[in-house]
Amino acid sequence: MSAPRPTTVSDRIQQIPRHYVYLLLAGVVVWQLLFPIRLPITPSVPTRGVYDAVAAVPDDKLIIITTDWDASTQAETGPQTQAVIHACFQNHKKFVIMNLQPPMGVKLAQDLAEEAAQEYGAVYGVDYANWGYKYGYENVLMAMAKNIPNAIGDDFYGKPVGELPLMQGVEDIQAIGLVVIVTGLSAMTEMWVGLIQGPYRTPLAGAYTAVMAPIYYPYLDSDQLKGMLVGAKGAAELEAMVDRPGKAVAIMNVQSWAHVLIIALILLGNLGYLFARGRGEGSQP
Amino acid sequence: MWFSRLLQRLFPPAPTPAALYLYLALAVVGSIVIIVALHRLLGPRGRRWLIAFVTFIAGLFFGLEYFYPVHGDPAKNFLTDWIEPVSVMLTVVGAFTVGLGIYSLLQVHGRNLVQRRPGWHNSLAFFLATFAMLVFGMWEYYLHLPQPPPAVVPWPKGIYEILFNGLFAPLQAATFSLLAFYIASAAYRAFRVRTGEAALMMAAAFIVMIGQVPIGAWLTSFIPADSPAAFFRLEMLGEWVLRWLNTPAQRGIIFGIAVGALAMSLRIWLSLERGTFFSEKG
Amino acid sequence: MNPDLYILWAAAIATLGVYTILYRENPISRLFEHIFVGLSAGYLIVATWTLNLEGKWWNPMIHDKKWYWIFAPIVGSLFYFIYSRRLGWLARLIMGLFFGTAAGTFFRQFFPIYSPQIYACFKPLDYQAGMGIQGVIFDLLLHNWIFVIILLTVMSYFFFSIPHEGRFGRNLGRSAMLGRWFLMIAFGAMFGNTVMARISLFIGRMQFLLKDWLGSLIPWFATRGL
Repeated sequence: MSAPRPTTVSDRIQQIPRHYVYLLLAGVVVWQLLFPIRLPITPSVPTRGVYDAVAAVPDDKLIIITTDWDASTQAETGPQTQAVIHACFQNHKKFVIMNLQPPMGVKLAQDLAEEAAQEYGAVYGVDYANWGYKYGYENVLMAMAKNIPNAIGDDFYGKPVGELPLMQGVEDIQAIGLVVIVTGLSAMTEMWVGLIQGPYRTPLAGAYTAVMAPIYYPYLDSDQLKGMLVGAKGAAELEAMVDRPGKAVAIMNVQSWAHVLIIALILLGNLGYLFARGRGEGSQP
Repeated sequence: MWFSRLLQRLFPPAPTPAALYLYLALAVVGSIVIIVALHRLLGPRGRRWLIAFVTFIAGLFFGLEYFYPVHGDPAKNFLTDWIEPVSVMLTVVGAFTVGLGIYSLLQVHGRNLVQRRPGWHNSLAFFLATFAMLVFGMWEYYLHLPQPPPAVVPWPKGIYEILFNGLFAPLQAATFSLLAFYIASAAYRAFRVRTGEAALMMAAAFIVMIGQVPIGAWLTSFIPADSPAAFFRLEMLGEWVLRWLNTPAQRGIIFGIAVGALAMSLRIWLSLERGTFFSEKG
Repeated sequence: MNPDLYILWAAAIATLGVYTILYRENPISRLFEHIFVGLSAGYLIVATWTLNLEGKWWNPMIHDKKWYWIFAPIVGSLFYFIYSRRLGWLARLIMGLFFGTAAGTFFRQFFPIYSPQIYACFKPLDYQAGMGIQGVIFDLLLHNWIFVIILLTVMSYFFFSIPHEGRFGRNLGRSAMLGRWFLMIAFGAMFGNTVMARISLFIGRMQFLLKDWLGSLIPWFATRGL
């Protein structure tokens, strides 16, 4: 049985067919992608914290970029990873990519790293490496804290990590200068904080999807995280800082108008609700 | 340590390939004998005790190593050297659980296919996709291509890239991008300000939504950044809401979760928990 | 073989195929869903073998002749007895091992995670030298008071086992009500961020469709600076 057709003005305001809402959203996004109104992006304090943390890593230590994300959050975490990689290369810091879950992240991140490496003339195994997907969550971290080559085993290409040039002298967690957690999954940060940052004082920075970011502000406040990228906004800010405007900057241009649309729709729905309540009709789904 | 020396005596590496296969076979046979013996000898009560014992020892090992006093340089106790090998062993054992989910999928789709249920062609597509990714994923890996890979690649690598970057990643990204439409529609239809709390929630949402995007900064860019009124710039206001209003509330939630998780962990460690898994009859 | 063109078209067709569900449920979107699940299952097996088992289990066992690694799949295979009613207890045995490990690991993590959080709650509530005035109205001292009040009221909201009766209970009830209001602010902030995240995902896909796919057919799209 289909819903009754809207009759009053308040009904019509509250029951715009969903396909029109979809078309409106798609239209706004396409309009801004094709004819962008570019507005400046200013790095926020949490984003500066990430950049400063990367720059502060001693030259003889490695940076771990954990790419615990997959294509479902790629629009946010992909540009975040790319911006962090650029920050590492520009500051001449060696880094490794790894992933605890899901497996797809290391391949997507490797593609990003290879693309950036060509720009900076970086060599795999010397300037950066990919430890791959490691199953085991906390067990991997506890093993890494004591013996990284044993805990990691082979890299993304099947070569024992101990044989890579940039792994010379890397034995345990003391050789790590910073861990940047790029993730769309909850509970990853807590593992790293509890097993690596807390006991061994290894600096941590986070890059999260916008959904998760509010949850991790307390970790910024307690200095357990040195900095944080908040979704595509954080990625755009870091892209601006490393002077490599990319997909995230374009996304944020579009976000402005998409948010205006969402706010307008919410206000419209509430306007209809107010009209209906004034008439004593109540809200319509 | 005497225990590690004992283990090295009991489990030395096999001297020859033939000895290796003999040891492997003996280990498999011996393990089966032990499992069958445990199953025959232990009644329901004995099995519950064994499960509780294993659970307790596993938790005790990791917990005790953290809390037991350390000494020396590097600081460690009698359990510290065991953390790494035990953790590595657990990661390998856990990796064998990959088949659990795969088996369920194969069972469901296999049944659809064999019994020709409606939509069986979708199950056929599932099997073809699984098989293709398995074959070409393994094939690509064992090609051991040089790094960086050349522009023109062997065809198995090409097929693998089509499956991964052409299908797998875009399908996942597209599926999750549908949420944008659903949240727009849901926000329009369901976000109604019926109470003061809802109004507060909406106000906070609007401030954060506009403050996080460039248009928010542009709308209030007329307020000088170094003036006392800079607080009312939308990007500053949004950051203030997140930093000073959201943070303590989230911390309160974190503490609630922490206490609950600690209680739950204690109950599981001591096998006090009851439920589908815990209260079986043996 | 240069797979780039095939990748481009496969990705575009897959994306548009999934988007057909926005109109209504249809066989095309269902087919692509099943293909996605199949690819995901296949990739999980590939990644588990190539990135974990081969290096950490197979090579030490076969090439280094460390035969005791055979116990790993034997112990791991106990999980599969979950499908057997008679032997299901063996699966619970191995699950008990992992549950115990998780509990022990949580005990290890508890203090490193939460003690800095507790420590950070104790913000100075009296004016101290060096605090500085950051604005006419909103200075650090006021911020600290706001922080502590919100934290305490939110925590009081979660004291469900204390009835809101009697003098203490009624005051607790008022505090809990205030905490609920502050929680609404936090949820509003989360909602705002959620909207931003979800829309980012769609924008990312549209960037691909417009710049990469349509841009390869009609150069104008590729010049739009997407």
